[in-house]
Amino acid sequence: MVTKTEETELNRLENQVDNGGGGAWEYLCLVKKLKVRRSDKVLKHGLSILNDPKRRSALGPEVWTLYEQVATAAMDCHCLDVAQDCIKVLQKKFPESKRVGRLEGILLEAKGSWAEAEKAYSSLLEDNPLDPVLHKRRVAIAKAQGNFPGAIEWLNKYLEIFMADHDAWRELAEIYVSLQMYKQAAFCYEELILSQPTVPLYHLAYADVLYTLGGLDNLQTAKKYYASTIDLTGGKNTKALFGICLCSSATAQLTKGRNKEDKESLDLQYLAGAALEKNYKQRAPDKLSVLSSALKSLKIS
Amino acid sequence: MAEDLVLDTAIRDWVLIPLSVVMVLIGILRYFVSKLMRSSQIPDPKIVKEGQVIVRARNLRAGANFIPSKSFRARRVYFSNEENGLLHVPKGQAQNAQAQMFSDPNMAMDMMKKNLSMIIPQTLTFAWVNFFFSGFVAAKIPFPLTQRFRSMLQNGIDLSTVDVSYVSSRSWYFLNLFGLRGLFSLILGEENATDDTQRMMQMGGFGFDPSKSLGAEKDSLDIVQHEWALPKFEQRAETVLKNLVS
Repeated sequence: MVTKTEETELNRLENQVDNGGGGAWEYLCLVKKLKVRRSDKVLKHGLSILNDPKRRSALGPEVWTLYEQVATAAMDCHCLDVAQDCIKVLQKKFPESKRVGRLEGILLEAKGSWAEAEKAYSSLLEDNPLDPVLHKRRVAIAKAQGNFPGAIEWLNKYLEIFMADHDAWRELAEIYVSLQMYKQAAFCYEELILSQPTVPLYHLAYADVLYTLGGLDNLQTAKKYYASTIDLTGGKNTKALFGICLCSSATAQLTKGRNKEDKESLDLQYLAGAALEKNYKQRAPDKLSVLSSALKSLKIS
Repeated sequence: MAEDLVLDTAIRDWVLIPLSVVMVLIGILRYFVSKLMRSSQIPDPKIVKEGQVIVRARNLRAGANFIPSKSFRARRVYFSNEENGLLHVPKGQAQNAQAQMFSDPNMAMDMMKKNLSMIIPQTLTFAWVNFFFSGFVAAKIPFPLTQRFRSMLQNGIDLSTVDVSYVSSRSWYFLNLFGLRGLFSLILGEENATDDTQRMMQMGGFGFDPSKSLGAEKDSLDIVQHEWALPKFEQRAETVLKNLVS
């Protein structure tokens, strides 16, 4: 996670470097440390250092990590020839390195030669079967080819060993949602909520999945998770507010004619509607009529 | 003591400075030797997996109240059932750490390498210092100290009348041994400093047994009372919205 002070520092440095104020190396170090993705800037400033023999030699052994960083950034920007040059330099320096081998695999991926990349990763995995990055690259290959079942298979294999990796769970959840396999997605989101119970986005996504699954139980649960999202975000998440309204009206339809719903949840739905109206009044007054007609159709306002 | 001891300048030139230089050089040499002998370990998949299982089970225990009870129960069974639960360690299969250490030659080898790079140079230098520089005063620190420092600064001299601010040569060796870390981190880079004191602590903490922690995690998971926290959230969301709307 990038904290606020770190981000302001990063932006300050970026501004300074962009305007020719120097400090490019510090900027690149900070980018690497915070693991943020600003590939275009990294490529530009990194190359300016690498192309200047004096500054390059001033870095000493750090220059190799810079080559790696620039190569990755170049592949992200699709400057494949730059990446190729960087990797060639690294290859010459570290002929046996697995880290360089990984970069070569990613380069093959960037070129779109999937089979070769796959072969490169497999041979690397033979030496070190527990390298999480290599496993993830394989998932990425499958996903890039549009082979979602394959990606799911790889991810499941990966998660069997690295089951505490929540980023992988998140990826899996998103793939399941895109394939409309909501039950499986719900499981993944539960796992995410377990690992980070205070991230409202997971609560929201879980609620979305439950709402999509439908059924009275799921709708009521979804409403609870929308409520927790509201609580965690301080009521600032518009999607959660809409979710409350939709869940309430859907449950009302399902339970029509049956027992009277308890008063409290009705309160919540009216409050959500009111919060939405207030929000729209402040931010987009011209859309207010659309909102109120929508709420009316849900029998809320 | 009424009169100060006068230290020969030859002591400075031939004891104090050489001792420090030798200690620094040995530290650097040891760093490179241990770097040469360091083997890249390939972690055992089973151990990695067990670590991950423990993390996930701990997450489940901590966040249990955030998921519906049906989901929680399903997960608990998955982790702790008696047949093939992830946390269930069949009896007899639980190796004890000592046996595992001996069955795995790599582990013993690593231990030996660590010891080689640590103990051998230390014994050698200590023997060297003891042999050549034993029993005389090598330096004087420029401020007075209390009697309690005597054992620290005058190791090897059994005279209670000598002022405590005089440092014996053997104590100078110990001061160097433990006090040069800052210098090493300057010379060899931040993380590379050979830290004897820390390594000695590591030696004590050897022998971690994953199966034991799996069992402990299973026990604590078994007694978790699931109480779904989400119904409470509806009320809390209500108050949040009330504050927002009004």
